[in-house]
Amino acid sequence: MRPRLWVLVLVALACALGLANTACEDITARTIVVWHAYRGDEERAIEELASRFEKAHPGTLVELLAVPFEAYPAKLEAAAPHGHGPDVFIDTHGRLGAYRREHVVAPTPPDVADPAQYDTIALDAVSEGGRLFAVPLSTKCVALYYDVDLLPEPPATLEDLVAAKLPEGTLPLAYEANSAYFHAALLSAFGGRLLDDHGAFAFDSDAGVRSLELVHELTAKHAIPAEPSGALVTQLFASKQAAAVIGGPWLRSDLGDKVRYRVAPLPKIARSGELMRPLLTVEGAMLTPHGATRPLAVDFVQFLGSKEAAIVLATVGHQVVARRDAWTDPALAGDPVLGAFHDAVRSSVPMSSSTRMQAAWVPANEAIEKALRGEDPRAALAEARRRFDDATKPPPPPSSPTPALVVLGLVLLAASIQIARRTRLADVKASLPAYRYTAHAVLVVLVLVVVPLLAGAATSLFAGSRDDMRYVGFANYVAILTARGGALLGHGSFYLTLLVTVLWTLLNVTLHVAIGVALGVLLSRPLLKLRAAYRALLVLPWAVPSYVTALAWKGMFHRQFGAVNALLGLVGVHPISWFSRFSTALTANVTTNVWLGFPFMMVVTIGALTSIPKEVLEAAEVDGATRWQRFWRVTLPLLRPALLPAVVLGGIWTFNMFNVVFLVSGGEPDGETDILVSEAYRWAFTRDAQYGYAAAYAVLIFGLLWLITRATRKWQGAGT
Amino acid sequence: MERLSEHEKRRAAERADEASPASAPKVAMRCEARGVHKAFGGTQVLRGVDLSVPDGGFAVLVGSSGCGKSTLLRSIAGLETVDAGSIHLAGRDVTRLAPRDRDIAMVFQSYALYPHLSVRDNLAFGLKLRGVARGEIEARVREVSQMLGLEALLDRLPKQLSGGQRQRVAMGRAIARRPTMFLFDEPLSNLDAALRAEVRVDIRRLHDRLHATTVYVTHDQVEAMTLADTLWVMNKGLVEQSGPPLEVYERPRTRFVATFLGSPAMNLLDAKLVRKGAGAWLAEGADLAVPLDAERFGSSLTEGREVTVGVRPHDLCVAQQGTTELGEIVVEVVEALGFESYVHGWARQAGPSIVMRLDTAAGSVRVGERVKLAAAPDKVHLFDRATGAALTS
Repeated sequence: MRPRLWVLVLVALACALGLANTACEDITARTIVVWHAYRGDEERAIEELASRFEKAHPGTLVELLAVPFEAYPAKLEAAAPHGHGPDVFIDTHGRLGAYRREHVVAPTPPDVADPAQYDTIALDAVSEGGRLFAVPLSTKCVALYYDVDLLPEPPATLEDLVAAKLPEGTLPLAYEANSAYFHAALLSAFGGRLLDDHGAFAFDSDAGVRSLELVHELTAKHAIPAEPSGALVTQLFASKQAAAVIGGPWLRSDLGDKVRYRVAPLPKIARSGELMRPLLTVEGAMLTPHGATRPLAVDFVQFLGSKEAAIVLATVGHQVVARRDAWTDPALAGDPVLGAFHDAVRSSVPMSSSTRMQAAWVPANEAIEKALRGEDPRAALAEARRRFDDATKPPPPPSSPTPALVVLGLVLLAASIQIARRTRLADVKASLPAYRYTAHAVLVVLVLVVVPLLAGAATSLFAGSRDDMRYVGFANYVAILTARGGALLGHGSFYLTLLVTVLWTLLNVTLHVAIGVALGVLLSRPLLKLRAAYRALLVLPWAVPSYVTALAWKGMFHRQFGAVNALLGLVGVHPISWFSRFSTALTANVTTNVWLGFPFMMVVTIGALTSIPKEVLEAAEVDGATRWQRFWRVTLPLLRPALLPAVVLGGIWTFNMFNVVFLVSGGEPDGETDILVSEAYRWAFTRDAQYGYAAAYAVLIFGLLWLITRATRKWQGAGT
Repeated sequence: MERLSEHEKRRAAERADEASPASAPKVAMRCEARGVHKAFGGTQVLRGVDLSVPDGGFAVLVGSSGCGKSTLLRSIAGLETVDAGSIHLAGRDVTRLAPRDRDIAMVFQSYALYPHLSVRDNLAFGLKLRGVARGEIEARVREVSQMLGLEALLDRLPKQLSGGQRQRVAMGRAIARRPTMFLFDEPLSNLDAALRAEVRVDIRRLHDRLHATTVYVTHDQVEAMTLADTLWVMNKGLVEQSGPPLEVYERPRTRFVATFLGSPAMNLLDAKLVRKGAGAWLAEGADLAVPLDAERFGSSLTEGREVTVGVRPHDLCVAQQGTTELGEIVVEVVEALGFESYVHGWARQAGPSIVMRLDTAAGSVRVGERVKLAAAPDKVHLFDRATGAALTS
């Protein structure tokens, strides 16, 4: 195009952008951004409220964004402190501690919420240091759903429920017994707590021991299902295989009309004489610091806390609202399930919003799992305390970065001198056109690969959780390599995990290669009919996303309802509890990963086989080789050059195979099947964001794999 | 230069070997194929082939591409199964046996050396498989490498060898096995011309020394002529003629065999038989009149019979005083090869091209010249125009 036309186009573009910008600014002034983690009915409720607000305030736009629950904190913490992100967001009170620390939430302005209008217990949950940080919207706790066909009356005690007369094969109760969240209710009946007021681990008390003994008994008596999960207990209740289920308001939409049920607050436990008190989570509308400065956003929060909004939340979203006067409304009064949950709230215990709560779940869950398997509860709880303390250990003191910076400076200096010495200006000038071609690719690789790598490596030199990162030099590496002061091969130690990872990798790669090569050779023999069909069938494991496959296999290995035990039962094998022993859990993981991985080897083999000339194999045949000898002495050695890179790649991928280990065994039993990469994950995301520590793990993994690859190269080079 | 020294080396080795009994000839065996039929998919490749090779004989299967010679060889080896017919080795019916049980060794066109094994291991492969003792293996490998001049190459990999060296390793691999029969599948076609000529001689020399029954497949008629004890000319799945090479060359029984052997190919002329008097017959066509030996053809000579006349270029000469003229050709092209020339010309403008060999010593012709042709009557061949079969008495 001619230059003049270029100028015109650019000017037009600039005008358009300018207009759009001003328009945007206008809109932005009248828009409130609201984040929430709702789905289904609850999402419809909030949308209804948003449109009502827009009608009441013409010209305003309420922009709703549904964010997945797990990603919520990360997104908020990335955006809010810098003035981006939402003005208003709806979240649980449990995260308030972290949000305050991260300056994600601002105190609710006075006069926005009249304390008299809300349930006290909800207000307490969203207040800290006497100040309100959210307008409480709904309260969530679990209660007892019971099938009225099987249990005409709600049981007075847990023991009554267990002893109830039920049809053959029906469980009295189904609930997620292995989750500390649910177990907290039983624990409270014995007078125990997960954390005390100072944020210290409190589960390992006599109350804790008694509660664990009770759960073990229930499982042994087959009063509750083994290896429960949310999906399983829901399905058991919905198919009338369980007479009662402990669940929250969210269960309603899953149950629908399948069962005739009623809800009642959790009963007492006769053994202790006390009520089971579930944990309470309060959802509230919170303002970001940025949003608190905008009157429109404050108005919206006030509207959300109004009686009108509470009625919508209760009728459309089926939420147990915290607003007192909403319950007088006939719509709410006529919903017995909602009313039952409201009753249950009265006997609930608000969950601690301490940041240390995050670190308590995993050790508590692990202790419960052990107790369910029949191990000594006291020892399990003592171990849980040890792990909690270990996870919440304060980071090492900061050290001075000066020596590292000096060294880095020297290294860079030396490198620049070397480069300056080696390059000649004439060479650079001659290569200039080439640099123009490669510059953008190099840039992309730098930004997408090298920079994150270096950033990760740099992170490993820091310790502490998100807001408290301090430079500690190599302290993280020292901690990892000394197994954090504990036994070298103790639980969670780097070396033990390394051994498990190596074992995991060796087993998998051996099986991958053996099965892949065998099938590859079989499929390339011309005698096999329907070759194309076989090939498609075998590549299927490869094409299905590994996430899906892992979850499917996990279901198949379920002790009670899984396909594997069912098939084994056909040949008379006793049902195996796959995830209660290291050997069987590892077998389950290996089976899944081999299923996922052998097609790769098979395809590589088939490709490599086509490069073996037919005449060489014929010559071997004439020379006197049997089919096996031809394979072993001719085919296999000729496959080696192609297989070796595949084996190296496969080895690296298996070494870092997070999906399968995390999704199938989840590290069970008790973290024993965790590999290095899933252990690193836990440090980053379940033990209070120890990013630096996890980064150090990652750097160590990288270093190990690099060394192994070099060793393999040497070995390969020596072989040719 | 390198070849020369290898040549000398081999001579020396042979002299040494002749003194030692290590390569004493093994008992050779007959090879027979009877009525072999083979089809691939819808194509019939062998239509009932009979082959017979005596103990220690050297049979060469020759023919153009697609005639079935390689298929026949592979059937003898056992690499292909036959649809009908049988294969017999040393009197045994081996039709159903796997190649490894037939005690044969094969040299492939592409040599098919084991790429991942050294020359030494390639030579020893078959022996190791059969559990031969280590000492024996070493002795044989040494013997074979001396025989073929491979001592310096024993530790190299096939990819580090030249074409000729690979060919020798392939032969060595076969020889080391001391089989009762050798099969060669166009082993020289991947070599350059000079090397081909040299290795050809080596193969014949080796055969004479080892006295092993050999079946050799080639499309090159020079190899066929020089190597064979018996030549088997194949065409479209059948054997057209078999016999000692010279016999097949001088007395071809079909037009195909006549034109296949001999280079340049035999001149063919469509002609009619004409009686010129008592016992004097001519074959007339394309402005040429070829005198015929009536005794030779006997009762096949009938007036007006449509035939094809064949005369090899080497059997045509410039008519001298007193010789019977066939006719005159106008010279179109002269190919001068040094010691001889090939003169191409036509008798009739639109007629076939006639090629004549001319000894350089005998003089030269120029393009455009008119040359009178003559041929000895006993060198003239007649074939039935329709069937291509040679006319005999």
